[in-house]
Amino acid sequence: MPSARSNRAAYFLIAPAILILAATSLYPAIFSFALSFFNWNWGLQFDFVGARNYLDLFRSAEFWQVLYQTFVFAVVATILELVLGIGLAVVVDRLRFGASIIRTLLLTPLMVSGIIVALMSKIVLDPMLGIVNYVLISLGFPPSPFFGTTATAMGTVIMVDAWWQTAFVFIIVLAGLQSLPQEPIEAARVDGAGSLQTLFRVKLPMLRPVLFTILIFRTIDTLKVFDIIFGTTGGGPQIATEVMQTLAYRKAFSFLQMSEAMTVMVIFSVIVLAISLVYMRLEERMERD
Amino acid sequence: MVMHARRDQMERLLAYLISLAAILLTLFPIVWLLSVSLKTQRDAFAMPPKLIFEPIADHFLGLLERPGFVEAFLNSVYVTALGVLIAIVIAVFASYGIHRFRFRGKKLFGIWLLLAYMLPEFLFIIPMYVLYQRIGWYDSHIGLALVYQVHALPFAVWLIRSFFKEVPAELDDAARIDGSGHLKTLRYVYIPLAAPGISATAILTAIWIWNELTIALSLTFGDAQTITVAVASFRGYTSINWGQMAAASIVAIVPMLVFSIFAQKYIVKGLTLGSLKG
Repeated sequence: MPSARSNRAAYFLIAPAILILAATSLYPAIFSFALSFFNWNWGLQFDFVGARNYLDLFRSAEFWQVLYQTFVFAVVATILELVLGIGLAVVVDRLRFGASIIRTLLLTPLMVSGIIVALMSKIVLDPMLGIVNYVLISLGFPPSPFFGTTATAMGTVIMVDAWWQTAFVFIIVLAGLQSLPQEPIEAARVDGAGSLQTLFRVKLPMLRPVLFTILIFRTIDTLKVFDIIFGTTGGGPQIATEVMQTLAYRKAFSFLQMSEAMTVMVIFSVIVLAISLVYMRLEERMERD
Repeated sequence: MVMHARRDQMERLLAYLISLAAILLTLFPIVWLLSVSLKTQRDAFAMPPKLIFEPIADHFLGLLERPGFVEAFLNSVYVTALGVLIAIVIAVFASYGIHRFRFRGKKLFGIWLLLAYMLPEFLFIIPMYVLYQRIGWYDSHIGLALVYQVHALPFAVWLIRSFFKEVPAELDDAARIDGSGHLKTLRYVYIPLAAPGISATAILTAIWIWNELTIALSLTFGDAQTITVAVASFRGYTSINWGQMAAASIVAIVPMLVFSIFAQKYIVKGLTLGSLKG
């Protein structure tokens, strides 16, 4: 049906998008890749060094620690947000009155900027003056140093991210639950299945494609975390909460090690894009089944 | 039967209790932030915390005198409007192109959009920083709004395209038989029918740009500094100026909260359609 002429029309329609994306994503990707083979630090020095930047990174313990921490943050935060978000959606789905106002209220964190979430958490989680420790002590629990020690900082930033982004999982799963066909659910009920059984045997399996999409988005988004960590610990104490994006920021804008920062980002982008492609493949396969 | 009904009631009661707890956990930090923005330093640091206090406006008034803060707010309004405009206009054309035509490289274009959306910010921020320093676009509104397109444009194309899919094919065919060209079909069939979806996309893009920090932090300094960068500048203070930090945060939150109350239907529609129908 589409003629050669209409094909040309399609190229005209997508041309502006291609131009902008070429300038803002393709050009930078090539530039970063190229620069990762030089030793440019804003100065006059600009020598080709081959794979040395890569080898230096692979030999540094700091790099592996930061990569590991990035994954710890992403995996734990994603699982936590999925569990909490699905749980909350199941609960709100049961409500009869006030469900829409409750949904609105639970959605508020998504309207708040990450940097504000970070600063807000610094106020409520302050070890000395924060309200949370005051409440903990009043209830007879020990206070926590939260962002203050290497042992607790990572858990705390993960908790803050979960406060922020659980709503994203919640709202989509809730909409998914509400759009499910009623017949299989009724059938399970008639067969004597309880609510939990219906949930795990009927509802959640039917939502599998939606849950998978959420999983992709949360994994990639948490791998790329920046503002929550920048605004709270800045990667510290020492480098206990440093992740790939804060590492690149520090190298480029604090130490002016441009080539090194680009090398970090090239490696990280390859990892992120590889994970995206694997997920996309799995999703395609799931759709075919 | 009676047993069943009672269990149902118990479950519902439990559901209300859990929802209530979740709402408390969600709103508490924001309410606390608001209270800190209205407290004197002494009241803010008081232990036990002062639940009843005399509110003061000093921190908010102080923001007016803080260099660059008001400008940062206006910059955010401007950059958000510009960024949304670019994303929506270009995405409407691109979505129509993808929706309506088969062409060579279509799949590749789709993958490129997705990968661009997934790219970690600093991969493209640092080269754009270097480029902008050379061509004088560093710390400019247009420069920032353009870099936002790396994430905003794929997002908008993806959403608008899924809204275009809902337009009945018969209407498209009818317009064609009446002799409408592509631009006319887009203008008189697709855009009006998908208007609620396009609004939803614009609203979500606006919220994202308004709240974005990573890119703005690296590509602006003074002239085009956004509200999130201005708020972030409170971060390093050793003498903890909680009051003003909280006030600045509230000023940055309020526009989006008000916006979200009026546009809630659209926000939910945009967020869910995107992931439910892909």
